[in-house]
Amino acid sequence: MFLQHFIHDGNDMSSGSTLTEIIIGGVSRGAMYALVALGYTMVYGVLGMINFAHGEIFMIGMFSCVFAIGLFSSMWGAHVALNLGLGMVVAMIFSAAYGYANERIAYRRLRKAHVLAPLTSAIGISTFLQYFIFLTVSRDSVNFPRYYSDWLTNNHVHFAGVDVTYLQLTILGLTLVIMTGLYYLINHTRLGIALRATAQDQLMASLVGIPVNKVIAFTFILGSALAAVAGVMFSMYNNVLVFDAGYRVGLKAFTAAILGGIGNVPGAVLGAMIIGLTEALTTLSFGSEWNDVTTFGVLMLVLLLRPRGLLGERVADKV
Amino acid sequence: MARLRPYLLGILGLAAITFPFLWLQLQPDFTNNTITVGWAPTHGLQFFDDLLPVFVVALLIWIANRANRHWHWDAALTRNATWQKAGGIWESWWAWIAMPLVLCGPFLFSASTLGLFTNVGIYMLLALGLNITVGMTGLLVLGYAGFFAFGAYFFALGQQSISFFPWWLAAPLAFPLGGLVGYLLGLPCLRLRGDYLAIVTLGFAEAFRETIRNLDFTGGDQGVIIKTYALFRPILKINGGEMSYVFTALILFLAVFLVQRLYHSPVGRAWMAIRENEVAAASVGVPVVQMKLLAFSLSAAIAAVAGVLSGAKDGFVSPAMCEFQQSIMVLAMVILGGLGNSYGAMLGAALLYLVPEYLKRVSMLQDNATFTAVVPSFLRDSLAHLADYRLLLFGAVMVLMMLYRPQGLLGSRRRKTEILNK
Repeated sequence: MFLQHFIHDGNDMSSGSTLTEIIIGGVSRGAMYALVALGYTMVYGVLGMINFAHGEIFMIGMFSCVFAIGLFSSMWGAHVALNLGLGMVVAMIFSAAYGYANERIAYRRLRKAHVLAPLTSAIGISTFLQYFIFLTVSRDSVNFPRYYSDWLTNNHVHFAGVDVTYLQLTILGLTLVIMTGLYYLINHTRLGIALRATAQDQLMASLVGIPVNKVIAFTFILGSALAAVAGVMFSMYNNVLVFDAGYRVGLKAFTAAILGGIGNVPGAVLGAMIIGLTEALTTLSFGSEWNDVTTFGVLMLVLLLRPRGLLGERVADKV
Repeated sequence: MARLRPYLLGILGLAAITFPFLWLQLQPDFTNNTITVGWAPTHGLQFFDDLLPVFVVALLIWIANRANRHWHWDAALTRNATWQKAGGIWESWWAWIAMPLVLCGPFLFSASTLGLFTNVGIYMLLALGLNITVGMTGLLVLGYAGFFAFGAYFFALGQQSISFFPWWLAAPLAFPLGGLVGYLLGLPCLRLRGDYLAIVTLGFAEAFRETIRNLDFTGGDQGVIIKTYALFRPILKINGGEMSYVFTALILFLAVFLVQRLYHSPVGRAWMAIRENEVAAASVGVPVVQMKLLAFSLSAAIAAVAGVLSGAKDGFVSPAMCEFQQSIMVLAMVILGGLGNSYGAMLGAALLYLVPEYLKRVSMLQDNATFTAVVPSFLRDSLAHLADYRLLLFGAVMVLMMLYRPQGLLGSRRRKTEILNK
């Protein structure tokens, strides 16, 4: 019975998978969720709003990468590494552009409005983008061109009796690099200082000469580019792109952000790892179709026991 | 020119980022597992062509708005409406005229129209319920359809286990049960900021849908067939469709009455205070958590009743009832119609349900002589395709409403008179 689910889950695990391999699968899933969760948590940290359209930015990243790969292969043929690398860059640029446009159109004017307003407008953008892709690109799922992902998914590294695919290694490596970079950016650069200042108090930040609007736009651009990286990895990992993939992954990533304490960057990563592992263990013991149910259970449990998340601090609401 | 520059830049930017999706097409190559991209201009042109009626309507609205700056034709609608301040049960005098008219429906409409209006009634009930949480209390709920499906499945599974379980037993039971589910769900997250409720309800709807899809006794993707009972039929001499229409209408009236009475009670005032400023409300002694829980449980309870009615009307329930699209549709209804105004929410429900339904029917009108005479040819095809675009348009409507008319078509009149005019 278990085997069936493993096959469904693409290259999550092969037939002879051990518990360790399943855990590695869970951690690589968690790493992808972490990249998306960072976008949620950074925007929340700076603006105090939930950017529900972030999942769709992830989805845009997935699709624009495939478009770019297709375009490049019709332009100069199918060079795997070149097209994939450029595809990733294009995906990041497109996602960043969508993230910026999203902020500019739907959120900036609503910054001082009632809490409900930007939230609703985010839902609107999310629905709009989903159905935009649904109507213009494909109503069904599109397969990621396997020609480009085969090398990554079919090759394994044998390490202490465990099989790890190149793709999983890439995901983990990229996530690690990005996390380190982000940590450095936030804590050791002028931009990071501006970011933290804006998060603390927008008015004060603007009074000391920080271009608040630019900093906020930068937050959206950065988060969106990270989501695009996750999107490309995710579409290679599951070999499939759907218009509502962003909604599903976004829900998981958002749960992860809450789990770790929303607004808290290391918390988002921790939460995402927990969600990834929960999913892997659910797949092992009940089957992957119960993933949503257990994730939801974990979310409810955290909200009951530690409402501010695992690493979150209790902050008083501002009037 | 300088004034137009940001707009031009914006349009250029949007054209650039939507370019590949609109004007290019993916061409998967299944033999080599690669992919190429082809130039497909008809693709993008089709998209804009289908949306043409929307652009026409948008232009008309824009012109009307421009005109309104000089002539104020809507002044009568927006003027300080003190004449309607909490006037007891006669406040909505026109409802007492509307009620008998609505109940005459079975004599006036054909069976298919009646079925359509029954669905409108069910959506109105949903919009009314969601409006309590979103419009009156200011808490976002994203998985409202979960409670709808909960009611429907409660009815369906009750019928499977008990031999006699008609809808009029299920509906009064679904009300407290739905409320209980809402209460339990709201308990952990309503102590926190409002945003958490949105995501928890969304997760609930997803988890609920997955559960009913995966369990054996809930029938999987196919759902469950419900036996519709014919107990009242011999007495009232009406058929099933007419019966569900009449009872949906009656329950809707009851719900409107209940919600309006609550809205004009201290409870409603407390909800409004929470919406305007939670901290300030708490500081003047409003029991914020209890009031939020009450609002949310009541919403959930109304949705569960709507679920029972929907199950009784259609004769089956399925996991599709708690799709995310359903929740979004109801939310769009409330936002378009008017946040905090029950009648506005119902107006939104009627508009957003009936317009796409009639658009679908337009495709069948293609060879109707009057239709072809009245509607110019370039709009005919677009109108027929427009039903496909409804979720795209709902999304756009939600954003535009938040930007330009956050109170909806009919906003909360009380909010206007009591808060904004001071």
